[in-house]
Amino acid sequence: MAELRIEHPRRGLRGTVALYFRLQLVHLRASVEYRGDFWIGAAGATVYQLSYLIFLMVFFSHVDQVAGWTLWQVAMLFGLAGLPRGLVEMLGDGSWTLKHMVNTGTFDRVLVRPLSPALQTISSMGGIHGLGQAIPGLLLLIIGALLGGVSWTPGLLLFLIMTILSSTVLLGALTLMANLVCFWEPSARSQIPIMYLMLVDFAKFPLDIFNRGIQLLVTGIAPFAFVSYFPALVLFDKHTSWHWLGYLSPLVTIAVVAAVARLWVVALRRYQGVGH
Amino acid sequence: MTSTAPAGGAVGGVRRRPRYLAVCLTAMQEATAYRFTAVFVVMLGFFWAFILYFLWEAAYTDTATIGGYTWPEMRTYIVLAFGINSLIGWNVAGAMQEAVRTGDIVLEMVRPLNYCGAQIARYLGYSTVEGAVALGLTVLIGVIFLGLQPPVSPLSGALFVVALAGGFLTRALFLFLCSLLTLWVLSNAGIMWAQQAVTLVLSGAIVPVTLMPLWLQGVTNVLPLRGIVATPLAIYLGKVTGPEMLGLLGLQIAWLVVLWLVADRMWRRAFRAVEIQGG
Repeated sequence: MAELRIEHPRRGLRGTVALYFRLQLVHLRASVEYRGDFWIGAAGATVYQLSYLIFLMVFFSHVDQVAGWTLWQVAMLFGLAGLPRGLVEMLGDGSWTLKHMVNTGTFDRVLVRPLSPALQTISSMGGIHGLGQAIPGLLLLIIGALLGGVSWTPGLLLFLIMTILSSTVLLGALTLMANLVCFWEPSARSQIPIMYLMLVDFAKFPLDIFNRGIQLLVTGIAPFAFVSYFPALVLFDKHTSWHWLGYLSPLVTIAVVAAVARLWVVALRRYQGVGH
Repeated sequence: MTSTAPAGGAVGGVRRRPRYLAVCLTAMQEATAYRFTAVFVVMLGFFWAFILYFLWEAAYTDTATIGGYTWPEMRTYIVLAFGINSLIGWNVAGAMQEAVRTGDIVLEMVRPLNYCGAQIARYLGYSTVEGAVALGLTVLIGVIFLGLQPPVSPLSGALFVVALAGGFLTRALFLFLCSLLTLWVLSNAGIMWAQQAVTLVLSGAIVPVTLMPLWLQGVTNVLPLRGIVATPLAIYLGKVTGPEMLGLLGLQIAWLVVLWLVADRMWRRAFRAVEIQGG
């Protein structure tokens, strides 16, 4: 008699990563199904990014530089923040589904499956819409890299690639962290995660122009400056008193990931279901 | 034999309110129910105003005027532009798109209302609550923290309000037209992003029109969107006076008529194209 075989998910880090990419592939396939939706979405997102670019070009047609930063250098900041943001949207934007799952109790299902709940959550959404952010981000990055006045060395290029990888993980972790608030504040219309993630926009500009409060905010509470501003200080060889912070980005990413992992466990313990 | 309800006047002893006013008041109640969201929406808008404020402030450290704007004028422009922008919240049109998605739009089709008029009434209701909160907060924060300047004269203040009302209707009609596209393409996110970006740039919300490169100025000056932010603020700051000001107001009114006529025809056509999803 034929026996139903249940394949057990592979354990360990390698198994988890393999599974993660398999789940993501499903989302990519799904978004290709809705082709019109994809193209209109990507076009809309590109137009949206273009409006920032128009602003920057208009601004810098009247001003040569702001706090010592030129148009192309600010474009680089936009790219450094935009590309990882787009990659997160493509590869693991599932944190945004948490609020709905916790609110309706469908999070129960996540908990009873024989798979890491974190993995399931992160990979529960994603798709090629992220390209709408990632492509303009990449273009700005390239423009900034070529015209921003960086004296490129192989080491610096390696630094840039590492920064982008580290920033993607950092933004993904911060997105999850912001969304964990739903375990404490389960309002269905809570805007807290959106507002938190919007703070990344501050890091699209040289921090020098902001007051001390905002500088501390995007360095400490919402460390988005480690995605763009601090690495850019290294790339453009700008010597300020916090120039060295650029090298710390990967360490910040590791620290944030570790902290969010702990917080995730605490959050899971708080989950009570909705009573069915 | 039972008699059917009369078309107007008293129903069951209760006098009916005019229909569009009823739609407007219902929207007001809805907006009041989600007042925290309203405050959040305002704060989201403000967030960019703060960024622009700091950016321009840094730019003005080297120079007294940029494109004819002094720093006090520029910061007044930035703050008010964002206040005006939050008059219509970003999710006001969301209900209509949701109706298209779920197929509930069919209910709108059987209502004895001009759909365009009803939607504008809805936006008005929402904006009376959300917009009042927005503008109130803008002026408050603007005056306390950002050195907001008063209008150059009482007359320009009064005409600013007139232009602002025209700008509101322009934005409402443009938003309605963009939302109608959802009925054909069935995908709303992309259209809404593009709509937002186009409105931001061409209304003069992110940068005053006179600072734009000439080709963009040419486009902006003939399109209706400048009536939303650029025209009211040019009047407020006294950048335009006399015949030029009247010309701008005339352009705004002419565009309003055109937009209304287009919108009124388009919703009828859109309803014929409608596809009820999952119905």
